[in-house]
Amino acid sequence: MSLNVFICGVGGQGLVLLTRVIGDACANSGKKIVTGEMYGLSQRSGAVSVHMRIGDDVFSPLIPIGQADIMIALEAMESLRYIEYLKKDGIILMNNRIMHPPIETSKIIDSKNKLEYFSLDQVITRLKKWTSNIAIVDALKLARESGNVRTENTVFLGCLSALKIFPVEEKYVKQSITDAVPKKTVDMNLKAFELGRKNAYDSLCTQVACREKT
Amino acid sequence: MVLKDVLTKEAKTAFMLGNEAIVRGALEADVKMVAFYPGAPTSEVLDTFSAALDEFDYQMEITSNEKVALEVCAGAAFSGVRSLTAMKSVGTNVASDILFVLGYTGVRGGLVIVMADDPHAHSSQSEEDGRFFAPNAYIPMLEPASPQEAKDMTKKAFEISERHRVPVIVRTVTRVNHQSGIVDLLEFNRKDFKKVKWNQLGEKYVTLGEVARQKKLKMLERTKALSEEFETSEFNLVAHADSDIGVITSSVSYLHVLEALKILGLQNKINILKLGTTYPLPKKLISNFIKKLKKVIVVEELSPYLEKEIYVLSKDINPNLTIFGKLSKTFSEAWEYNPDIVATGIALATGSKKPNYQTIILKAKELKNDLPDRYPTFCAGCPHRATFVALNQALKIQVSKGQNHYFANDIGCYSMWIYPPISHSDSSLCMGAGVGVANGLSHVIEERVVAISGDSTFFHAGIPALINAVHNGNKFTLFILDNSVTAMTGQQFNPSTEFIAGGRKGKKVLIENICKAIGVEFVEVVDSYDVKNNIEIFRRALDFDGLSVVISRRECALYGDRVKRRKGEPIVPFYVDKTLCKRPYVCLRTFYCPAYELDNDKQPMISRELCDGCSVCSKLCPLHSVKRVEVKK
Ligand SMILES: Cc1ncc(C[n+]2csc(CCOP(=O)(O)OP(=O)(O)O)c2C)c(N)n1
Repeated sequence: MSLNVFICGVGGQGLVLLTRVIGDACANSGKKIVTGEMYGLSQRSGAVSVHMRIGDDVFSPLIPIGQADIMIALEAMESLRYIEYLKKDGIILMNNRIMHPPIETSKIIDSKNKLEYFSLDQVITRLKKWTSNIAIVDALKLARESGNVRTENTVFLGCLSALKIFPVEEKYVKQSITDAVPKKTVDMNLKAFELGRKNAYDSLCTQVACREKT
Repeated sequence: MVLKDVLTKEAKTAFMLGNEAIVRGALEADVKMVAFYPGAPTSEVLDTFSAALDEFDYQMEITSNEKVALEVCAGAAFSGVRSLTAMKSVGTNVASDILFVLGYTGVRGGLVIVMADDPHAHSSQSEEDGRFFAPNAYIPMLEPASPQEAKDMTKKAFEISERHRVPVIVRTVTRVNHQSGIVDLLEFNRKDFKKVKWNQLGEKYVTLGEVARQKKLKMLERTKALSEEFETSEFNLVAHADSDIGVITSSVSYLHVLEALKILGLQNKINILKLGTTYPLPKKLISNFIKKLKKVIVVEELSPYLEKEIYVLSKDINPNLTIFGKLSKTFSEAWEYNPDIVATGIALATGSKKPNYQTIILKAKELKNDLPDRYPTFCAGCPHRATFVALNQALKIQVSKGQNHYFANDIGCYSMWIYPPISHSDSSLCMGAGVGVANGLSHVIEERVVAISGDSTFFHAGIPALINAVHNGNKFTLFILDNSVTAMTGQQFNPSTEFIAGGRKGKKVLIENICKAIGVEFVEVVDSYDVKNNIEIFRRALDFDGLSVVISRRECALYGDRVKRRKGEPIVPFYVDKTLCKRPYVCLRTFYCPAYELDNDKQPMISRELCDGCSVCSKLCPLHSVKRVEVKK
């Protein structure tokens, strides 16, 4: 059995940490994992992505086209950028946040014919042509609720942990969160994790199989 | 966390990045000297060694370029001390002068050179195939496919290096350096660092003329011995199957091959030879593998390095062998491979049914129609943006007065000036080439040449070109964007920083002192954020009838933020006062800051999460509508 998770977002959103936490949790629970990471240059605001593969019969650090079981998009538009990796009817955990790049804004202010920003509704409409298993997460709001706006990535860890096909037990994930984040922010991150988990139960678990609530 | 795993004394399994596994391997091998100039995809090797420095007794330098790094390591290795450097492929070009010589002189202590190619040019100016350095310099080469192998090979490379008294290249590609996986850690067995008595070693490292000719013969013998040794290396794997088809592969392509065979339902149905020692090649092993085959498929990224050798070997051993690779057009020499490309190639060669990726990709393309691009751009607070805003204004005024320009960009965060929506630059080449080509251009074009360099790039390769300009009386203007660190590769320290490896105190080298000392007559130092005043100064530099240098100084925003956070200083963002803003969009048109977006009324709005509080946009707003958020005391 194997699980492929495609993670994407924008530089600065904490994909590195997210990958680390899952990787450590796998190492500590005796699961095989391989990832291919593309962080681009070290500037903020560029597109970043991680191919994550858990299980015994995976080899390449890159997910073959159409084989990701889950896509995590920390920024909504990025989900479309890599959509070919997602299985038909795969699961999408997507932030409702859109970060409009400067080039998009500059086209709008220079256009005579009333261009508009690419919208969340547009993203969702298009994604629905690929899959109906979409969970939209207001991660920034949940992160704020946790007491630290920088925990959006941990919110998604919570969402992921609720899914039945995610093979790593919650306690390992929580342990590696505790190990990985700065000491002062451990409680806030664990709270963000719980909020993410709850969010998945409310919005996604009606459609896809989830783990027992604990 | 991973640093903890790099440091841990216990034997255990850990999740590690390829680059971290390299560090762990070197530490397990008791490395005592490391030196680097940063470059993706190897930068985390430097960063990890720097972060771990306080826990160990190795010596470390972040050097001014790759050649110096290799020379630092060579010096240590001459004395019998194990040393390691890592560089990106194009860095090896810079280091190659000393690399070739080391092939002749050899070393005493193990010297390992991690050389990372970047198929796809993810973060490089070219897709270079560095493997050819190995045969050219007669230096043995190992190629790992995974983090575990990266660790094992790094460790083994020290032994090979000492046994044959020659540096060893561990050649990676981006997808190995930036691949993470489960790695088995072994215990450390480190001895205390002690200085060596050079005179007692009785060593000599010279090569020239007749000495070189003699050494060449020794080098050939050494290579023969290595070739014998590699015939039985544990890094070369053969998987037999009941088939007359075989795959020969190496590096990460091996993992793509395994994946592709799974996709095609050919697992265990085709023979595989995975090569880990790719110079000198184990020719007997390869010959035996291809002897009885009808078809062999060679899967390697970039140039047909293995493939051509296989053609040569097959001529004697199996002239009827059909070879599928780049020469047969089964695979391309361009870009990096992935399971899909490899599966398609293997399907073609074996006559199996191709997976239907085209349908998926076409459907995906439909969904992506009009999706905005996300080019890398200057971070919020980046001082380069401010410098370029002033420079753009200055250039515009100069053009209106009849002075036109050639814009010679260079390699660093400022390279992003080449991307839309700005797309300004006549050239952007390799490190230091901005000043270099300015010399030639200034002789032959009518326009004023404007050259750009960063601090790190100036120290790396810009200085000789500037000295050349002074000496020859060349007239152009050089802007040195001094942000205190080597930003693009992850804000490493450089001679412009007051720190050295491990965050220890070092001596800052002032660029203006260098410029003045070599005789540049116009040298100005400005604060990058002071856009309004800078426009005039930049214009004076452009009008100067001679060589002028402007140093625009302000520390990298990401680096500065980290320093602030450590000191507990707040980052106070700005906001747009909607009652004052009349939407002239000056901010958006001149600034392109990722913290800016339009709100529902198409009014500029600043994201509190992204704003760095640099204040530059607030000073440029003609309506004074950009204000600092009040912090509650
Ligand atoms: C020979 C070589 N070594 C390393 C690199 C990797 N590299 C790309 S940009 C850059 C840093 C440039 O630093 P600096 O000039 O200070 O500009 P900054 O990014 O700080 O703006 C480096 C090291 C390279 N492209 N070529």
